Amino acid sequence: MSYPRIAVLFGIAFSIIIFAISTALYSRSSLSDQNSSKLDTFGGHTPGYPTLQTTGDVLDPTSLVINPKTAVVDPMKYLREFNYGKLSASSNGTVIRDFTMIASDQQTKEVSPGVFYNVWTFNGTVPGPTLRATEGDTIRITLINNGSKFHSIHFHGIHPSEMDGVFEGIAPGGKFTYQFTAEPFGVFPYHCHMQPLEEHITHGLYGALIIDPKKPRASADEMVMLMNGYDTDFDTENNFYTVNGIPYYYMHHPIQIDKNRLIRIYLLNMLEFDPLNNFHLHANMFNFYKTGTKLIPDEYTDIVTMNQAERGILEFSYKYPGKYMFHAHKTEFAEKGWTGLFLVKEGTNQSINENLNVTSIRNITNYSTTDFNKTTDLVPTGGVN
Amino acid sequence: MEIEEGNTSNTHRISKRTILFGVIPFIVIGAMIVLLLNSSGILFQSSIKPLPEISIEKVQFSDDNMIVAFVRNTGPSEITIAQADVNDRIYPAAVEPGRTLTRLADAKVIIPFVWNTGEPYEIGITTDDGTRFDKLVNSAAAAPRPTVGQASTFALIGTYVGIIPVMMGLVWYPFIRRLSANKYNFFLSLTAGLLVFLGIDALLESNEIAVDNLAPAFNAQILIIMVAIVTLITLLYVSQRLIQRASKRSKPDIEYKKGYSSHSEPDLGTRDMKSSTSFQQQLLIRPIAISMMISIGIGLHNFGEGLAIGAAVLLGEVALSSFLILGFTLHNTTEGLAIVAPMAKSRRIPVAKLMIMGLIAGGPTIMGAWIGGFLYSPIATVIFLSIGAGAIFQVVYSIGSWMYHTNGSRGLLNNHWIIIGFAFGMLIMYLTGLLV
Repeated sequence: MSYPRIAVLFGIAFSIIIFAISTALYSRSSLSDQNSSKLDTFGGHTPGYPTLQTTGDVLDPTSLVINPKTAVVDPMKYLREFNYGKLSASSNGTVIRDFTMIASDQQTKEVSPGVFYNVWTFNGTVPGPTLRATEGDTIRITLINNGSKFHSIHFHGIHPSEMDGVFEGIAPGGKFTYQFTAEPFGVFPYHCHMQPLEEHITHGLYGALIIDPKKPRASADEMVMLMNGYDTDFDTENNFYTVNGIPYYYMHHPIQIDKNRLIRIYLLNMLEFDPLNNFHLHANMFNFYKTGTKLIPDEYTDIVTMNQAERGILEFSYKYPGKYMFHAHKTEFAEKGWTGLFLVKEGTNQSINENLNVTSIRNITNYSTTDFNKTTDLVPTGGVN
Repeated sequence: MEIEEGNTSNTHRISKRTILFGVIPFIVIGAMIVLLLNSSGILFQSSIKPLPEISIEKVQFSDDNMIVAFVRNTGPSEITIAQADVNDRIYPAAVEPGRTLTRLADAKVIIPFVWNTGEPYEIGITTDDGTRFDKLVNSAAAAPRPTVGQASTFALIGTYVGIIPVMMGLVWYPFIRRLSANKYNFFLSLTAGLLVFLGIDALLESNEIAVDNLAPAFNAQILIIMVAIVTLITLLYVSQRLIQRASKRSKPDIEYKKGYSSHSEPDLGTRDMKSSTSFQQQLLIRPIAISMMISIGIGLHNFGEGLAIGAAVLLGEVALSSFLILGFTLHNTTEGLAIVAPMAKSRRIPVAKLMIMGLIAGGPTIMGAWIGGFLYSPIATVIFLSIGAGAIFQVVYSIGSWMYHTNGSRGLLNNHWIIIGFAFGMLIMYLTGLLV
């Protein structure tokens, strides 16, 4: 009979096919075991989580340092960089501060290690530069639109209607100078106000303006923290949350501060899509000055919650040295990048911060203007009209 | 047409001119390929980068606090993986062999993560342009490891689900032998009903897997139909050849029952049979051949079913329960019935031969469970389920034509036993299927 033979043949053929497929699948799944030339360690930041070795590539924004050449901003530089403008005096003795802002919208930059996104920027970074003036100064900001769309700058604060940056957009290639008196003192966001507003803001056209009171605040180690996010897949939900532009940056680059030194943070929230954001400081309490418009603190707390464009000033100092976390206490944001560390060191009276930290307007002219004007180099192509 | 006519005089010689005409299209296509590939950016310029696409084909959870996602680049161009997340929270991870994947290449993303059994997890992969792809696992369960213990568990499941029910069905053989012609037709069509249900079920299941786990780049839904059709026609051809060869070689070894020969013989002239003797021989050989083909078809189907069961365990989609196994057992008992039904009127079949058929039909379940449980691959599952479906439809065709020829002038749809049997067969499958 031929049927058992058919059965046997069928069995053999079937087994061969199965064997071939399983071998192929198995060899594929164990591919990595064969090549152990290069081993990287990853994981293990969190207690209880295994530390592993891999022959492949490590994906870890909490420990990988972003390439500074392609990064959307240098968060360490941004942190303590205040731009005071080019100083001159008007006939009646008022201080005039001239700033140049260049808007662009065609650059793709690295917003998290390995993730590239078309950012729209003022002076090439997200967030844009921190502008600083003293109450009563005349601020003149020349916006050069180097982008492909209409842009504008809308400042929060008190100014005339035509300086509000809402009704007149600056055409591509165009130029406009906003001029107003710095008032009142406080912390103010600025951002592009062209339609669709959401699109212009979420792509990165925003930054901080600090107006100091005429009598300067107490000397402190000052820094700016701007909370934002990136919706890199355009689903109106943020994929990344950051403070100062790059997720987790201050986890691998802790902000070094001195024990018992007064720290002053100008905190702003420019997060799009999510209705609120917040800042929580570990193992400490801070004085909070809402909007920074008063000299008396509104609250003594360890957390402050803000809607978009809300801002304030935080003042605190650390009693004990060590590492302290600060992050959004919306844990989703914290675990998508909005987490950082302070490294509190035993205080030396002459720390590096002392030099960088400029709270007085008297001696800043050279430092700020030269540095600020360099920002034009960030814009790659010419065509500035 | 003109060329062919010109060459009719020297029928098998092909002129140079003909060759030229045959070759020209290839030359043009070749030139187009060279031109398009070399001048990309000149002829059809596109400033838009094609959208990336990643398929997360499976997610494995392991006891040592790890989640492993198997990803494949199913987009049109090379992609680079930038980040991994669990439930939309970014976690450190590693990607092996490397983060850059060429088209259709695959990689393993390993995420150290303390996961909880039974909870849902969404695994996300973000590419370098910030696009996030995710896959939801409804209930996390530790992936079976290829240990002897786990392998024997799968073997046991395969035995319960595949071998035992089929063997149980075979036990009905003596019972079916004693049936009258009408009741025999009833059981044959019942078998056809069972099989049609199985075939449709396999197609739907493979479609479900294709939609859930395979990227559109695979065109998996068309692949299902394609594989099923190719299997069907291939098996039709093979079975025809087998019957022809067997009928040439062997003498009639089947008692030819009068009950239905009287129906069929007067009609021979109207059928497209070459001679009454060859048809008679076919009648004699066919039942066993059909049964063998049914065993093979069901074997292929059960292999796919085994894959699906193993994969379901692997992917944490089902917790294996005794109830589930019992459901499959009841469901599959009908498969044994399908094997013996065509042989009811033939000479007594040796038990050993029945056992072989039972093993062919039931054994692949074990193999399927092993492969599905340890090395799940959605594309392989889809292909095997489609092969199973094609095989089953071939069997249905064989049974149908067998009944058509043995049923004489009455035809298929004229016999209420056949209609009732067919409907009843599908109903049985539906009802036992509710248990699974």
